[in-house]
Amino acid sequence: MTTPTAQMVRIMIDGMTVNVPKGTLVIEAARRVGVMIPHFCYHPKLKPDANCRMCLVEIEKVPKLQTACSTPVDEGMNVRTATTVVNDAHKSVLEFILANHPLDCPVCDQGGKCDLQDFSHQYTATSRFTETKRVFQKEYFSPLIETQMNRCVQCLRCVRYCDEVMDVKALAPVGRGTMTEIKHFGFHPLDCEFCGGCVQICPVGAITSRLSMYEYRPWMLKRAETICGYCGDGCQMTVQTKGQELIEVNSAHGAGRNNGDLCARGFFGFHAASHPQRLTHPLIRRHGALVQVTWEEALEYVADRVNEIKAAHGGPSFGGLISGRCTNEELYLFQKFLRMAIGTNHIDSSARYGHVNGLQAMQLVQGTHRWTVTFEDILDADVLILVGTNITETNPITGLKVKEAVKKRQATLITIESLEPVVDTMSNIANLSHHHFRIPTSDTHHAIVGLVKAVLEQNLTQPDLAQRHPTYVNAMTSALQQISWQDLQAATGIEPDAFVRAAKVAAGARRVVIMAGQLLLRSEQGYSGCLTLLDLLLLTGKLDAPGCGFAPLAEENNDQGAIEMGTVTELLPGAQPITNDTERERIAKQWKGELPTDKGASLIEMLERARVGSLKAMFIVGENPVGSLPAVIHAEASLRNLDLLVCQELFLTETAALAHVVLPAASSLEKHGTFTNTEGHVQAVRPAIEPVGDSRPDWEIFSALSILLNSPMEYAESKEILKEIRSLIPGYSSLGPTPLPPKVDHSAVDRYLTDGYQRDLASRYHPISRASRPDGTVRLELAQSLFHSGKLSTRSKGLLQVEGSGRLRISPSDAARFALSDGDRVRLSSTSGEMTTEVKIMERVPQGTAWFPSHFGQAAVQLFECAIDPITHVPSFRTATVSMMKVA
Amino acid sequence: MTFVEKYKDEIADILSRYPVRRSALIPLLYVAQRDQGYVTESAMQEIAHLLRLTPPQVYETITFYTMFNLKPVGTFHIQVCKSLMCALVGSDTVIEWIKTKLGIGPGESTADGLFSLSVVECLAACGTGPMMQINEDYYEQLTENKLDRILTDLRSTGTSPLKSGPFMWPEPVKT
Amino acid sequence: MASTASTKRLSLSAWLKTITFYEILVGMKATLSHLLNYRPVTLQYPHEKRTLPDNYRGMLALLRYDDGTEKCVGCDLCEAACPSRVIRVVSAEVPGEPTKRYSKEYYMDMTRCLFCGMCVDACPVDALGMTREFEWAVYDKRQLHLNKQQLLAIGDRSFPVQEKRLELQHPNVAFFNVAFKHVPPKPD
Repeated sequence: MTTPTAQMVRIMIDGMTVNVPKGTLVIEAARRVGVMIPHFCYHPKLKPDANCRMCLVEIEKVPKLQTACSTPVDEGMNVRTATTVVNDAHKSVLEFILANHPLDCPVCDQGGKCDLQDFSHQYTATSRFTETKRVFQKEYFSPLIETQMNRCVQCLRCVRYCDEVMDVKALAPVGRGTMTEIKHFGFHPLDCEFCGGCVQICPVGAITSRLSMYEYRPWMLKRAETICGYCGDGCQMTVQTKGQELIEVNSAHGAGRNNGDLCARGFFGFHAASHPQRLTHPLIRRHGALVQVTWEEALEYVADRVNEIKAAHGGPSFGGLISGRCTNEELYLFQKFLRMAIGTNHIDSSARYGHVNGLQAMQLVQGTHRWTVTFEDILDADVLILVGTNITETNPITGLKVKEAVKKRQATLITIESLEPVVDTMSNIANLSHHHFRIPTSDTHHAIVGLVKAVLEQNLTQPDLAQRHPTYVNAMTSALQQISWQDLQAATGIEPDAFVRAAKVAAGARRVVIMAGQLLLRSEQGYSGCLTLLDLLLLTGKLDAPGCGFAPLAEENNDQGAIEMGTVTELLPGAQPITNDTERERIAKQWKGELPTDKGASLIEMLERARVGSLKAMFIVGENPVGSLPAVIHAEASLRNLDLLVCQELFLTETAALAHVVLPAASSLEKHGTFTNTEGHVQAVRPAIEPVGDSRPDWEIFSALSILLNSPMEYAESKEILKEIRSLIPGYSSLGPTPLPPKVDHSAVDRYLTDGYQRDLASRYHPISRASRPDGTVRLELAQSLFHSGKLSTRSKGLLQVEGSGRLRISPSDAARFALSDGDRVRLSSTSGEMTTEVKIMERVPQGTAWFPSHFGQAAVQLFECAIDPITHVPSFRTATVSMMKVA
Repeated sequence: MTFVEKYKDEIADILSRYPVRRSALIPLLYVAQRDQGYVTESAMQEIAHLLRLTPPQVYETITFYTMFNLKPVGTFHIQVCKSLMCALVGSDTVIEWIKTKLGIGPGESTADGLFSLSVVECLAACGTGPMMQINEDYYEQLTENKLDRILTDLRSTGTSPLKSGPFMWPEPVKT
Repeated sequence: MASTASTKRLSLSAWLKTITFYEILVGMKATLSHLLNYRPVTLQYPHEKRTLPDNYRGMLALLRYDDGTEKCVGCDLCEAACPSRVIRVVSAEVPGEPTKRYSKEYYMDMTRCLFCGMCVDACPVDALGMTREFEWAVYDKRQLHLNKQQLLAIGDRSFPVQEKRLELQHPNVAFFNVAFKHVPPKPD
C-alpha cells in the first residue's frame, strides 16, 4: 500500500541466502527458505515472547545461542540451525519441558497433532528426570474448554492470544516458575468470549475442546474447507468429520478473510446441522396434520397446486421469501424460479430486515452495491468510525480487524454505540475507543448529525465541494443550522466539543472507514442514518479517496449475496433496479423468457396481501416470519390465509408448522455453493457431510419443481448455476484470494449531489423533539448475542452450553432501581404485549436500557411496534419502551 | 462497605503517583492485604475495575509474588526462604522442623490460628541463611534450638529477641 | 554279435542285484527302516494337540486389571497400527468418571486379522494380549466379528493372572487417565 517499501537485508540461513525486509524475525526468514526451527511460544499472530527457548539458533559473531523467534534479522547475518551445538540445545530444552510432562499421549486429544510429540520424535528426546512430576489440582474450566495443566509447556500462547488478538484477557498465568498454571478468575467455570482461540493455538494438549473430547484421532478425520454459515464476516473454517459425524471445526492460520481466527459461533456452533430434530422427510398436510411422504409425492402435489392456483389467479398471486443463509446459487435459482416458472416479482429475502437499508443508501450516493473497502482497508485505516455495531457480538471477526487496527496499527477509533466502556468478561470495543459517543440506539442518528454539523461548522468540508456543488453544501448547511447544539446535547447528552474533536480527527485523517452495524441498519433510522454517514464522507471528501469508504455490516452470512442475486423485489440479479429496462431485457434474453413487469411486493406487503387474500401462495425457504416479526404484522394470520404454503426448512419452525408442504433442506455443511460475505467476497462452500436423511439442497428442489412446472431449469451441479451467474452478472467472476472492491461511481455521486440528496433531506435533518420515557420503564432493545446468530444456532448444543436461554440484560444501576439481582424474574409489558423473563446484570448495558437477545425473542418480539421505512420497506422492530416489574 | 469506599483517600493518593494507571496495582494490593490480612476475591475485582484490568490479570500478579496471601494467615506468618542460597544451607530442614513442631506444611495454618507457614523466594539475606521472616522480622542462621526459642517466645510474648531486622539501608530516619 | 555277447555276460554280483531288486531296496531304505521302527508324525488333531511355542500369536483379547476394571483407555492406537483394519474403537469419557477415557465400543473383525501382533505392540497400557487360543473355526463368518464383551471374556479365560491396578500406573507419570469426580461430565 502506501507504506514505504521496507529496506531489504540479505542474510544466510544454513548456507542459503535470503532477502527479507529489515525487522523480520530470524524464524520467519528461515521459514521462507524452508528451514523449520522448532518452537512452542512463537506464533506469527503474537508478539515474540521467547519464553520456551526451543528456537535457539547459532548466529555467527554472537557468542551465545539466540532465540530465533525474537531476534530480528540484520544485514550479513549468518544463521546456523543445524549444528551439533544447536541440536544439543534443542534436546536439552526439550528434556526440561519433558521433565514435568505427564506423557499421557494415549489419552490426550492432541496426540497426533502435537508439537511436543513431533519434536520428541525428531530429537528422540529422553528425560533423565526421575523425581516426582508436578501435579496440578485439576479444576473445572468450562463445559466447552477442557484443560489439563499437567501437559502445559507454559508457552503462554493462549494467554497472549486472549490478550493481544481477542482483547478479552480472560486467561492468566497463575503462580510462578514450574508451577505456573493457566487459569481464569474465580471459582466459577470460565466465562469469556469462547472464541476457541486458546484451543486452536495450544501447541500441546493442555487446552482442548471438551465438546469433541475423546471422540476422534486426527488421522481419522476428513476435512472440508468451507465458509461459516452464521454471520456476514464469511470466515473460512475447516470442518472435520468422522463419517457422518461432525467432530470439530478449526481454521488454519492465514486461511480466508478471518486469517484463522474464529468466534464462539464458528468454533462451537457446528452441531446445529446434526441436531436430532432435523427434518429428514418431506411432509404434506393431510386432514390438518403433517404426514411423511416421498419426494415424488410432495413435489407432484406442489406442482399440481401451483398449476391450479396459477390458472385461477395468475402468477402475481404467488410470493417467495428466502433466507440470507442460502448459497448464492440457491438465491439466484429461487428468484429465477419465481420470476420465470411462476411469473411473480413478489420476492424477498432476509436482507430486507436491515441490509437493504445500507445497500439502498450506497446505491443512491455512490452507485455501488458493495463496500468500496476491504478488510485490509480496515486494518490500514487511520480513523475508524463504528456506528451502532456492537461489533464484538454481531460481527466478531470484523471486530478483530478493528481491534488489530487500533491496538497494533494505531488507528483512531470513533464509536457511536450504546455500550458502556467497562472491562467485562467479553471484550468491549468501547474500551479501545478514542472518541466514544455513548448514546442509546434509538438516538444514534442524532450523534451522526452532530458529527456532520461539526464538520460543516468547523469548515472541515472538502475545499472544492462548495464550488462544484454549492446547492448541496448550502442545503446541508441551512438544514443543520436548524438543529441547535443545545438540542443535540439535550438529546444525546454529549458536549458539542466532543463532536468537534471527533469531526476534526475524522476530517484530518487520510484513510477513514465508516462501519454501520445492525443496531443502525435494523433501526427505524437505518436508511437515513446510512445516508447521513455517506454525507459525512462526501462532505469531508473521503467518499472516493483511496482506503476510505462506507461499510454496512451484514448480519446473516449471505445477506450481501441475496442482494446481488436479486432476491429482493426491487432488484434484478447484479443488484440492478427492476425498473432498469435495458438490464431487464438483457436478463430476459439470457433466460429465454419474459420477466414479470409488475412492481413486486416486499415482505411486509406480501404478508398484508396474503391477509386480505390477494396473495394465494407462498414459498418460504429457511425463513420464519411467524417467529421473527412482531405481533402487529399478524404474520401467522396472513400465512394461515394462504391456499398454499410451501416451506423448505431444516427444522419444523413456527412458520413451517403452518405449511401445507414442508420440504427438508440441506444445511450449508451439506452442500456445494458460494457465499458472499459482507465485504463482497465470494467464497466457496463445500460439503462436510452427506445431507441428513432425505434432505436435499434447496437448489435441487427448485430445479425439480421447475421441471414439473414445465419451465425446466436443469443443472447437473451447483457449479453450473454459478457459471450461469457469472455469465449473467458482469464482474462476478472474481472468486479469488483478494477481492477488488468496486470503485465509487462518480456519475452516481454527481447525481446525488445535484438532486438525489433532496428527496429526504428534510426528514433526516430536522429539529429534534425529545420524547421522555415515563418512570418505571426501560428502553427494551433486541440485541445480538455473541453466542448465537439468528435462530439456527439455538439448535447447537455447544452454544446452548454457553447461553441456553434468553435473559434480559440490564445495567447494575437499573438492577438497583428495580431491586433486582442476577436470575430474578421480571415481567415486561408494553402496549403490544407482555412477557416474563430472567434478568442478567451486565455492566456494559447503559442505564435505562435493557437488551434481550433476538435469538430467543419469540416472546419478546411481541412487545415491539413495527415501523416500516417508506423508501426501503424495511420493517424495524428493535426498540420499545416497556415497563418492568419484578415477579416471584 | 466495599474496599474502594473504605480506603478512598489512600487509593486516590496512590493513583495520583503513577502516570500509567495499572502501575498502581501492587501498592493497591498492599492496601487490600493490610485490610483483611489477605487479598479477597472482591477486592481483586474492585482493583481490576479501578485500574481497567481484567480480574485474571490482578490474580496473576498476586500469585506471582509470594508476599501476597490469597487466604487468611495466622497471627505469625512464617515465611521460609527457599531460594538457592538458603536451600544449600538447609532451608528444607527448617521446613521439616516447623512441620514436626507445628504440624503444618507450606500453605497451612495451625488450628489455633497462631502460625502459618509459607515458603517464599529470596529475602536478600543470603549471607546468613537459612533464614526466615515472621511477619516483618528476620530470623537468620537458624538452628533447631533457635527455632524452638523463637516459637516459644512468640507464643508467650508475641515477639522474640532473636529477631534481626528489618534491615534497611540507608538507615530509616529516626523520628 | 560280439557286443551283444558282452552285454549278455553279466557279472554275478550284478545278476544278484538284479534278481534281488537291490536298487529298489536301497531307494526304499529309509522307508523300510521306518516300517520297522514305526513312529507317527501326524498329530491326531482333535484328539491330540501340539505344544505351542512360547511366543505363539493366537486369538486377540482385551485384558483387565486385578480389580476387574478394563485396562483399555480407548486411545485408538491399535486401530492405527493395524495393517488390515481389523479393529474399530469408539472412545468416550467413562460414565460417572469425568475426564477419564475408555473405549465405549471395541470391535475386531477377526476374519481379516493376520495375527501380526502390531496392535499388542502399539498398546500403551498392555490392554491387548495374544492368547494361545486358535480354535476359532465357525460356521458363520459373522461370529468372528467380536465386540468388547467377547474380547474381554477371551481375556478373562486366557489370562487368569491379572496385572495389579495402581492409581498411577507408572511411577514417573503423573495423572495418567485419572477421573476427577468434581468435574461435571462432558455435555452430550
